[in-house]
Amino acid sequence: MSAESKKYLKAAVLSVLVSLLAGAVVILILGKNPLSAYYNLLQGVGLAPKPRYGGGQSMLTDLSSYVDYWTPMIFAALSYAVAMRCGLFNIGISGQMLIGGFAATVLVGYSGLPAGIAKPLVVIIGILFGMAGGALIGYLKYRFNVNEVVSSIMINYIAEYVISFMIQTSYIDPVSRQSRAIGDNARLSFHQVLIGGYKYDLPIGFLIAIVTMLLVKFVFDKTVFGFELRAVGTNRTASRYIGIHVGSRIVLSMAISGALAGLAGVTYYLGYVNSIQPRVLLSTGYDAIAVGLLGNNDPVGIFFASFLIEIISKGSTYLQSQAGLEAEIADVITGLILLACACNFYFMERMGRKEKKHAERN
Amino acid sequence: MLNAIDTIIIDGLSFSLPLFIMAIGGIYSERSGVTNLALEGLQGMGAFVGGLTAYVMAQHMNPDSQLPYYVSLLVAMAGGCVYAMLHALLCIRFRANQVISGVVINVLGAALTGFLTKAINRTVFGAASDRFVLSVSDRITVPGISKIPILGAFFTKIYPFEIIIIVIAVIAWYFLYRTRFGLRLRACGDNPAAVDAAGGDVAKTRFIAVMVSGALSGLAGMCFAYSILANFSSSIYMGYGYLAIAGYIFGNWEILPSLGACLIFGFARSAGSEIVLALGMPAAYSDLVMTLPYVVTLLLLVFLSRHNQAPRALGQTYDKAQR
Repeated sequence: MSAESKKYLKAAVLSVLVSLLAGAVVILILGKNPLSAYYNLLQGVGLAPKPRYGGGQSMLTDLSSYVDYWTPMIFAALSYAVAMRCGLFNIGISGQMLIGGFAATVLVGYSGLPAGIAKPLVVIIGILFGMAGGALIGYLKYRFNVNEVVSSIMINYIAEYVISFMIQTSYIDPVSRQSRAIGDNARLSFHQVLIGGYKYDLPIGFLIAIVTMLLVKFVFDKTVFGFELRAVGTNRTASRYIGIHVGSRIVLSMAISGALAGLAGVTYYLGYVNSIQPRVLLSTGYDAIAVGLLGNNDPVGIFFASFLIEIISKGSTYLQSQAGLEAEIADVITGLILLACACNFYFMERMGRKEKKHAERN
Repeated sequence: MLNAIDTIIIDGLSFSLPLFIMAIGGIYSERSGVTNLALEGLQGMGAFVGGLTAYVMAQHMNPDSQLPYYVSLLVAMAGGCVYAMLHALLCIRFRANQVISGVVINVLGAALTGFLTKAINRTVFGAASDRFVLSVSDRITVPGISKIPILGAFFTKIYPFEIIIIVIAVIAWYFLYRTRFGLRLRACGDNPAAVDAAGGDVAKTRFIAVMVSGALSGLAGMCFAYSILANFSSSIYMGYGYLAIAGYIFGNWEILPSLGACLIFGFARSAGSEIVLALGMPAAYSDLVMTLPYVVTLLLLVFLSRHNQAPRALGQTYDKAQR
């Protein structure tokens, strides 16, 4: 690990600690015990034992369900990182997730194809539709100079409402008020699998996520394309001078980012859950920004950062039931981590200055 | 009896004007050189503080009193202003990436207000609710003029905040284009080094500009809370902040053209819902109508962004040492 990454790691750990501390103060003000609240978070995701379990459930059941929940976030944060590498801010991840997830639900989810064909098809459709959504934003940026943040937000809302309209007119389940559940043949997670007396949720997507993470890491660190992305992200004019086709890199990085978001979409909508709630955009796309910032946009860093952020997010349900605290406290803590990370640059610089002074004195 | 065109004008105006005042805030911030994607969070925080104030006041006062209404508008401005200082602090003092800082403000704002609304309702008012219900706003109809066909609709059933917004907008226009402070502010966005050389304080000017954008966004958020929702809840985060951003980008960072953009958004929205009503379409179709302002925004941006000239130093932290 380079000195720069070590410094970053220090700053990142510090910002998490500060945020947890600030969260603890809020919990204290509300008259609850912060330590037991944080312990509830761990219990909720199967990293600590709960006092009692229902039939067929164990700590590992919770943990497997947590991994199922965690998987989409790995893709989403990688999606954010690829765009950010090129200096682009993909805030449309949630929308691209929805587009990919909806397309796969409609085209494969209700089809009754054999599982061996349906599952790979879901992955491919998710990638393609997510990619189209991302590439559109990149193309608008490159061809028409449309600010990518504004265009992706607009596309988020358009996707949310148009898909809600289509679900409510054609695919609604009148009881659950959501889209009709997809068949198990198309689902990317095996749910409630009975092994040795206990039930587990086994996500196929998690394996794809690990392979994808390593692939992105390889592209970033070892390929010309990865270097070009960073060059464009750092200085567009200089990149143009050394002969990089900036426009195509912008569109490509957004396309890849969209494809990863599409993967996040299918692993969520056709994995962790099996239907789509109309008029709801997941917060995953925004949380992915926190994860990307915390993980310094490095694929391995993101892997660990997403693990942490998703503990807070998933564990909050159990926290609410046990401590009587609003589950929204999880969003607040994530927001605080985001806030602390945004200042990281400043603190790292100060740390650097202090070290320099220290070195000069000796 | 109001006909469809009147309704379109009345509803369109009450949506456009808050959007416009928020866009002016964005113009202040961005013309001074600070990218402001935080409008969405600022309006939400303003609406939260204002909504809480109005809710508390209404419980202790005569229900017919309009005092909570005006106080809540003021408090919302103050709340947005204070919350905007966080954005200014991050961007100017801590030299954070301004785009990231804006998103942080939005995410944190939505999280904080959502959490606090529930927590305050539970601990203080002893109710499990995720909203503060507001009193119904007065509507003013100017006698006489409102009888003129079509044009009269501009003077019918006006929310009091619409008048306040117009007054503030005129003042904001005057300050930005006709005073020494405004000139300096605009110079900070184009050539901060020159302002510094002329003895101006770039950091301070930018700080003030961001605070103004917070105050105006807070006001806008409170107006939305009154006109669209009649309560404060997390549904205040509907992307209006981003619409305002699209508005001033479309208006090329100038106040008057931005008004045009905001009016287009407002009328597209109200015309859409009128059409659904008039044709008697099922409720699901209102989802399609909801996309209208966003589609219009996207199309306008596609056609107009190429010729746009953002302030030259937009998004760059000013570092004296690099002069």
